[in-house]
Amino acid sequence: MSTVPVSFSGIAPEIVLIVAATALLLFGVFLSPPAARAFATVVTLGAFVGAIIAVAVQWDDAAHYSFEHTLRVDAFGRGAGLIVFSAGLLATLVAWGTPWMRERAIEYHSLLLIGAGGMSLLAISNSFVTVFVALELLSICLYILVAMDSNELLSLEGGLKYLIVGAVGAALLLYGAALVYGSTGHLEFDGVARVARGQGDDALLLGGIALVIVGLGFKANAAPLHMWTPDAYEGAPTPVTAFMSAATKVAALIVITRVLVTAFPDQSDLWKNVLAGLAIASFAVGNLAALRQTNVKRMLAYSTVGHTGFLLTAVAADSPKGAEALLFYLVVYAAMNIGAFAVVAVREREIGRPVEVRDFNGYAYSRPVLSIAMIIFMLSLAGIPPTAGFLAKLAVFSAAVDSDLAYLAVCGVIATMVALVYYLRIPLAVIDRDARRPVAEPRPGYGVASLTAGVSALAVLALFLVPGPIFDMARTASTSLFGG
Amino acid sequence: MTTALILLPLIAGLIVGLVPLERRMTEGLALLAALVECALGVVSLIQFDADKGTQFVTDKVWITDFLGIADVRFHVGMGGLSLFMVLLTAVGVAAAAATASWVGRERPRIYFALLLGLECALVLLFTARDIVLFYVGWEAMMIPLYVLIAVWGGEQRRRATLTFFIYTLIGSLLMLVAVAWVGIHGNSFQIDVLTGAGLDSTWPFLAFCAAFCIKAPLFPLHGWLPITYRQAAPETTALLSGVISKAGAYGLITIAIPLFAPNAVDLRWWFVGLALAGLLYGSLIAFRQPDARGVVAYSSLGQMNLIVIGIFASLPTMVGSSIAGPVVHANDNGITGAKFQMVNHGLVSLAAFLLIGLIELRCGTDAFKYLGGLANGRPVISTVFLITALFALAVPGSAVFVSELYILIGAFQFQALVGAAAACAIVLAAMYMLRWYSALVHEGDGPNVSPQTPDLRLGELGIAVPLVLILLVLSAYPFGVMERLGGFG
Repeated sequence: MSTVPVSFSGIAPEIVLIVAATALLLFGVFLSPPAARAFATVVTLGAFVGAIIAVAVQWDDAAHYSFEHTLRVDAFGRGAGLIVFSAGLLATLVAWGTPWMRERAIEYHSLLLIGAGGMSLLAISNSFVTVFVALELLSICLYILVAMDSNELLSLEGGLKYLIVGAVGAALLLYGAALVYGSTGHLEFDGVARVARGQGDDALLLGGIALVIVGLGFKANAAPLHMWTPDAYEGAPTPVTAFMSAATKVAALIVITRVLVTAFPDQSDLWKNVLAGLAIASFAVGNLAALRQTNVKRMLAYSTVGHTGFLLTAVAADSPKGAEALLFYLVVYAAMNIGAFAVVAVREREIGRPVEVRDFNGYAYSRPVLSIAMIIFMLSLAGIPPTAGFLAKLAVFSAAVDSDLAYLAVCGVIATMVALVYYLRIPLAVIDRDARRPVAEPRPGYGVASLTAGVSALAVLALFLVPGPIFDMARTASTSLFGG
Repeated sequence: MTTALILLPLIAGLIVGLVPLERRMTEGLALLAALVECALGVVSLIQFDADKGTQFVTDKVWITDFLGIADVRFHVGMGGLSLFMVLLTAVGVAAAAATASWVGRERPRIYFALLLGLECALVLLFTARDIVLFYVGWEAMMIPLYVLIAVWGGEQRRRATLTFFIYTLIGSLLMLVAVAWVGIHGNSFQIDVLTGAGLDSTWPFLAFCAAFCIKAPLFPLHGWLPITYRQAAPETTALLSGVISKAGAYGLITIAIPLFAPNAVDLRWWFVGLALAGLLYGSLIAFRQPDARGVVAYSSLGQMNLIVIGIFASLPTMVGSSIAGPVVHANDNGITGAKFQMVNHGLVSLAAFLLIGLIELRCGTDAFKYLGGLANGRPVISTVFLITALFALAVPGSAVFVSELYILIGAFQFQALVGAAAACAIVLAAMYMLRWYSALVHEGDGPNVSPQTPDLRLGELGIAVPLVLILLVLSAYPFGVMERLGGFG
């Protein structure tokens, strides 16, 4: 493993995003609102594309430590970065035409860029300090983004709840890091692992691990640490929800995997059980609570909690297979969630209020393409072929069975059975033949958001038909983490 | 050839669904595609060599080295049972498409696209030689079915859809874990490799069986059946009962039992016992149903359980015999009969439900108390119904009689008491089918039957007569099918 003292090319993607955000803030003030909106969107799209290119160019480079071992630039972290940047790209498109964007385009887009930068930094962090800094960077951006629509009480409420709970989570993480440092004298993961090898059941260390898992669990919406999720997801402007649900989760799960696998390999028996417990709790809480929701965003929020169960199952497998399954699942998960929220965003603008399940009644007869896309997303979330959600579930189940965690797979199956009841409610409403509604006027941004939904739907199908390339990338990434 | 059989309905479905043609064109195109599929099936039948195993194979990598376990492959091909199941699917979908265009279903473009999509998924599952691919076909067929029931169903279609879905998906999700288990422990996803892998574990076997037995359905997993068969459109019910229920039996024969032979042998008494209970229960309940669909639905339950008896009664003697081996010899009567009965019952049920659909079209109901007297001045209806009823009650000389006889012989060889009990149930079949026939066709005119109620028209004959003709051909030469069917696997 090579160590590069300082390598700015290694963090080129983050630099691109931060520079773009700064440029927006500097030049945005000189522009009129409509011009600023167009400028901000173009710069943001460009920055995400640039970041993706920067990752792609360095994809085949060997993994290396950088910045005094505080970063570990490898395919595992960079793969997560790719998902985050693509999610940002799609979320930017979904946001086009949002009413409140008229005055706040510059702020919105620069926060989005900085938040995405924080996420990709989090994914390559190799030290508790960088983890904390990156986490705060993305969190603070997200707190503001959630509360962005300040005319909406729900948006403010969601932002406040997210802020308070998020701060508690960050504090716990920091405390856990301090305990680990107290026990091992190291903050870098590889250093921690070297020292921790000898002290299997040191109370300070174990307490530290527990607090780190809890602190990061908040961001991954693992039950019972998920309580901010429904309010923040419901209150946040829909494009922000789309971005958060996909990208934050990716960063959080990647960093959880990295911390546990690289810093605490010898304590794996312990944290595997903790993750299994969190996974089962997420399965139960997420899916049961989603059953009772009528608001679509709230329902999808609880469904993301349920999906955390699958993702944690893959992490708990603690194997190259598990990491590969995790990355594939995250790619699929990001595509289907952003797509689903894009459809919700379109519908929300059409009816001008929060979308209930019944607002989709008969939608197939006025917007057939969007409806087919929505059906594809729901099937994929439920894991039914021919959608990529099926392959993702199969991969996670295989990894779980391989690591003797078949019981977690069975829990996942039971969770999915419950989940089917609410996932299928939307297709059933969409094709309801008794409830044909007059066609609503397309609102501004209709075309772009529909395009995003369509692209995501095609991605979900394409990932099923030709999953090879993504599995190859996931393999590279998982190898870069586990070696071998 | 197999790939063509899979892709033709898919491509035709996409064209029908996406190209805005007028109704007549859409229906014509869909029907044409369904008939071409039948023709392709017949060509395969002619080219099929009974002495070889799986034929018309296509084998391509789909996912290289899935999670480091093994390749997931697009591996399809047809053995004897697959071939006949594909033919049954093609015939069933063609008959359903003909019925739908005769009735003039609303929104024909999406309707026929879904019907053809369903056909694609069914052919895929009947020909898949890779277990992941099989699962894809198995689950993918649910999506068109879901929409077909939810949009074109009767009054309580919402409840029917949810009940059907939750039941069947519980089974198939358990199967998904079992597929992962099989891949990990057998180090392959190819069904042929896994058959020889010596897998031996009870819960994955039961997980597979859960999926297959819910779909069949095996007693007592039939809770979805009554409401679904009543609420779906007649042609959808015909496909459910005629073709899709056979997918369950097909899965038992091709996957669950060959992969987990020791477990299947251990648990065979449970399956035979439940199936026997289901056979008697279904046959008795069928006799008490107040509507035509109810009778055929419960009779279908009974018949599928009879098939399960035939399958499990052949254990343990059949396990290990290869697919390519000689077919009809002393100890595989049960399985041979079960396979042949899958074909026969498929055709009978298709005919019965489609005919009920034509009655519903005339009289607006299938409840016996509003019907009766259809024979008066309507000779064609009474003839076609009589022939169908005679096939359903396995009149000697019919193909159904041959297959039921084989199953009964198998059951007697397995255990004389099982054979005796199953034989009683066959008598019940005569009772409920004759009641069905006479309540519809005999007696005085029911409230919904008037002298103006038309006889079957020429177009409607075009739907029913081919099915009856196929049954007659099978009756005349049953061994033509049976020698091609093979054993387990």
